Amino acid sequence: MKYSEAELLAVLLSREVRDGEISACGALSQIPAAGLLLAQALHAPNAELIILNSVFNPFRTSRQFHFLAQRGELGLFFVSGVQIDRHGNYNLHQLGPDPERPKARYPGGYGGGMIYYCARRTVVFRTEHTRRALVERVDFVSAAGSTPPDMLRLGHPSKAVTPKATFRFDKDAGVLKLDTIHPPWTLDDIRANTGFDLEANGPIPPTPAPSDEELHVLRHVIRRKMIDTGTYAEWAQRSLGNEAARSA
Amino acid sequence: MGVPYVPIVGLAGTDLLKRRDDMVIAVDPFDGKTKSVVAKALRPDVAVFHAQKADRHGNVSCGYEAEVVILAEASKHVIVTAETIVERLTEKEAAGAFIPGIHVDAVAHAPFGAHPAGCAGLYGPDKVHMAQYVAASQDDVSFAEYLRTYVLGVKDHDEYVERFVPPNWRQPARAIGG
Repeated sequence: MKYSEAELLAVLLSREVRDGEISACGALSQIPAAGLLLAQALHAPNAELIILNSVFNPFRTSRQFHFLAQRGELGLFFVSGVQIDRHGNYNLHQLGPDPERPKARYPGGYGGGMIYYCARRTVVFRTEHTRRALVERVDFVSAAGSTPPDMLRLGHPSKAVTPKATFRFDKDAGVLKLDTIHPPWTLDDIRANTGFDLEANGPIPPTPAPSDEELHVLRHVIRRKMIDTGTYAEWAQRSLGNEAARSA
Repeated sequence: MGVPYVPIVGLAGTDLLKRRDDMVIAVDPFDGKTKSVVAKALRPDVAVFHAQKADRHGNVSCGYEAEVVILAEASKHVIVTAETIVERLTEKEAAGAFIPGIHVDAVAHAPFGAHPAGCAGLYGPDKVHMAQYVAASQDDVSFAEYLRTYVLGVKDHDEYVERFVPPNWRQPARAIGG
């Protein structure tokens, strides 16, 4: 079955959700929101979901979410950055070599720089797999992949997911390593579009494609649910089950 | 809370931490080993914010979000503008995020005081104005022009509302405001 990049990413993120855990995404996170709801509809019926700025947010205030994270109750968090680097750092603040004169500014924020250390696993995703997005060193560290062992830290990045590949974060080495490649992309494609060493020793397995069931539930059940609950409704209407957006 | 600083799990190794002198890395005083970031308490001299409803006694009810409650508690002085001011908030009106008048120095009636941002439950953001604001904030010249038009160029809040709040928004909220 053909699928769009957004559908592929939503399916890949959904597979990271574990049943019984609390999983969350921040504001402006339509793809993770779809992934969380898909996981709950398929393999994680007892997952507790937190989708900020939606009806799937149990909290009245951000303070409540903050302290839930600080207590280490989050199993999984999805976050994106304008840049992601080899060391698992991401940048959601600003671009450009001179920090005093950024070429572009992004939402930045404190939340991700806190939750990255608190959620047991954080999956970083990016809707673009290019050398400008996946870099050797981010221009600004909004959250650090690694910290010294004597620093209080409850969790770590676990994966990075893009439209072309997935990376696994090697905690001991403190680097992202190429894990799977989404067909039809090849190792050469990934190498050409990644700004850091892939640590690819030996063959890299293909990413299991979205199943018919995953796509069917995403396009029908989850799309409907997002529209009905006003959860990125316009995005869901446009991006899920849209023939024109399918490429692979 | 009134404490001098609080520890935070997170932020270590970020560039944010490098740029803030109110957050440092400290050793856990109990185990003498584990490090974490500690943030100095914020103690603003004055907090100014907008609320849905206030009363003559300084009690404030701010709809859905409660973050302003901490802001009011932390600040030495608190000034509140409100969509509506009543004689005394009822129990029902005081439900949710509520700031007791003991924290509040002054309240002022300012319908559409959140404009061009929204006021939860009453009106959303003015998207057209917000787009202008974003465009204007690209550089100092255009931002100065924005300030001249919308901030310095009006005599008072009533004139601002009259000139810049979309006319079709005004009728119902004016009625609520009395």
